[in-house]
Amino acid sequence: MATGALRFRTPHIDELPTTQSRQAPGFAWVAVAGGAQEDPSKNWGTTNRKRARVSLGGQTDQQREAVSAKQQREIERKLRDLNSDNAKDVVIDLPKKHGVGVGGVKAGKTTNTKKILASGKNFAHYLDDEEAEIARTGRRDGEAEAPPPPQRASKTPLARRKTREDSSISGSPAPSTMQTGPPLLPRGAQALPHLRANENDIENEDYDDTPTLPSDAEIEYLLSLPPLTYTQARAAPPPATGPAPRRFCETCGYWGRVKCSKCGTMTCSVACKDVHDLDKCMKMYT
Amino acid sequence: MARQKPTTTTPLSSSAPAPNRTLILDNGAHTLKAGFSTPTTTDREPNAATDSHTIPNTIARSHRDKRTYIGPELADCADFGELAFRRPVERGYIVNWESEKAVWERSLFGFEGRGEGAVLACEPQETSLVLTEAPNAPAVLQRNADEMVFEEFGFGGLFRTTAPALCAYAPSPFPSTASSSPSGLPLECLLVIDAGHSHTTITPLYHGRPLHTACRRLEVGGKTITNQLKELISQRTFDVRREDWLVGEIKEDVCYVSQSFNQDLEKVWRGGRYDQRSSTNDGSSNNDIVVDYVLPDYETIKRGYPRPHDAGVNVRNRALGIGTGAGGRREHILTIGNERFVAPEILFTPSDIGMQSEGLCGTVLQALNTLPSAALREAFLANVVVVGGASLMPGLVGRLEAELRSTVDEAVLVRVARAGDPVKYAWLGGARMARNEEVMREVVVTRGEYFEQGDLWVRRKFAGKVGR
Repeated sequence: MATGALRFRTPHIDELPTTQSRQAPGFAWVAVAGGAQEDPSKNWGTTNRKRARVSLGGQTDQQREAVSAKQQREIERKLRDLNSDNAKDVVIDLPKKHGVGVGGVKAGKTTNTKKILASGKNFAHYLDDEEAEIARTGRRDGEAEAPPPPQRASKTPLARRKTREDSSISGSPAPSTMQTGPPLLPRGAQALPHLRANENDIENEDYDDTPTLPSDAEIEYLLSLPPLTYTQARAAPPPATGPAPRRFCETCGYWGRVKCSKCGTMTCSVACKDVHDLDKCMKMYT
Repeated sequence: MARQKPTTTTPLSSSAPAPNRTLILDNGAHTLKAGFSTPTTTDREPNAATDSHTIPNTIARSHRDKRTYIGPELADCADFGELAFRRPVERGYIVNWESEKAVWERSLFGFEGRGEGAVLACEPQETSLVLTEAPNAPAVLQRNADEMVFEEFGFGGLFRTTAPALCAYAPSPFPSTASSSPSGLPLECLLVIDAGHSHTTITPLYHGRPLHTACRRLEVGGKTITNQLKELISQRTFDVRREDWLVGEIKEDVCYVSQSFNQDLEKVWRGGRYDQRSSTNDGSSNNDIVVDYVLPDYETIKRGYPRPHDAGVNVRNRALGIGTGAGGRREHILTIGNERFVAPEILFTPSDIGMQSEGLCGTVLQALNTLPSAALREAFLANVVVVGGASLMPGLVGRLEAELRSTVDEAVLVRVARAGDPVKYAWLGGARMARNEEVMREVVVTRGEYFEQGDLWVRRKFAGKVGR
């Protein structure tokens, strides 16, 4: 039954001479190592991607990465759609004013406002502008002084460098000024026992767990720190040691127990899998 | 409106009268909350229900009757089917000032074309504006906002702040401390979780001032939940991808946050091929989760409503001739099962849709762990207030409290409360703050000061860096 998509890869068959030949079927299946994969004249290739992945020397890291990058792009596209404000590029023109208002130029009264009203930027543009500004000048607009440069071109050999965190990229979005702040702050933890000691002079209560509020100076310091940038304030991803993301059935929404071999989406049961195969599969696959 | 030439450089502080009224405008992505507040001339406290108006902050176009509804005109719309929305506020910040100006004109000022006048009649020259924005705004957007308010609309004064910061002035939602906060003074320690339309922000406030290193933002908001619900319903029953308004109503009517996700999911499962679970009609326990939502058709049924699931309803309707459009009563029914609690679950587990982010409880802990002192952390955990439209979902506060409770140490007191009116809470805080003249005098930037000192000075003043 060799239809177009399926071809048998017959291994190379040698009839071995045996001492006893019987009237037996005139062939014997013999497994030959390597087989058609190594012999280009017999290797017709296969259109089944899964077999191709598995048999042709396995996937290289690059290919695996390409597949997961594609899935990642797909996920990010879905997330962008979920968070999009306007459904599918809605264009609504504002109706003209009924009669011109007194003194009202339609496009704004000063040059600044004219520019603002006429600009077609959306949020992504403003965000990119801000990131570019920070990268260029190293500080946020509106801060009194630039924070100390996070890292000089260091001459310390790599082995002896202490690791510093880069503020806007890493998972813990604290601004870099936190680390070079006045010594009050890192000593806050050690300042507490000495504060607590004063409390205990007054009453001989339990020592252990009554932490006291930090001093006013420390709180003032905390309040005076500059606000975080938009990207710094984003919630960080969960630690890698946490539970894996949960997968759900695409058809009914229960837990996903079975993964579709072609497109990788999960379904919960055979019934849902049938529905998936009929209508919904191969979406990512085109 | 202002009739001055744009090139004026004469300082106006000497000639212009000090603004005597304050307009509090909580500029959200979904709705505007606007109302006046005057300092202590009236004895009564500002009342959120009567003094403030909620105006949809959107421009909607209906293809069915070819009309465009801007802002408050949406109340006149009869047919919400396939209404396309465009919002001037993106990700919490006003980006599209052209649209926002149109909405403001129709809601705040008198607009010439509209016979009955605007919702609020405001004379900007004599009014100070208290405007809210989302935390961590890009500086360019802040500058744009300041320029538009002073130069285009001509307000007499401006105080631009983040919405959570105003919440500190509102009455405390905890019953034990509610009586003791007089108007105009901020609460001491407050952790505000603003579950809004575009995102959810977490802001610890100390005496009304935010501790910036501990502010976090979770990119899941009411909008994300609505879009996820749209996707789920469209995949399973009926294509509602273009029906923003309808799915928003469904979400408000039917969605809730489940306290035990695994158990609820088990209850609604139909079973696999070989282990069929009982279906819904025989009074089993999933009866109360699956609902039938009757869709509005904007002719007889103006607003959809849910009702308990009835598995035989479609068969009966067909037999009775309902739903076939043959002149009788028409009723289209959407059966909603686990989408009710799976869609809001992304607030607590964003990794369900692939977002690389911790859930609400995890983000709160991330925010608090940046604070150096355990005492501060405990103080904030004992005063958690949830505001914002998305917090109206039943079960959200309980689930948040349970998760926080299970993650932090047992000895720590965790109090989580939802504000009395979560949508207007920030407005109420602003109104109460505006009654205190001293506070207002400190923080408001008048028009004269803006033109004298320039926008950079104004921005730094709002960030708390100048002359505190």
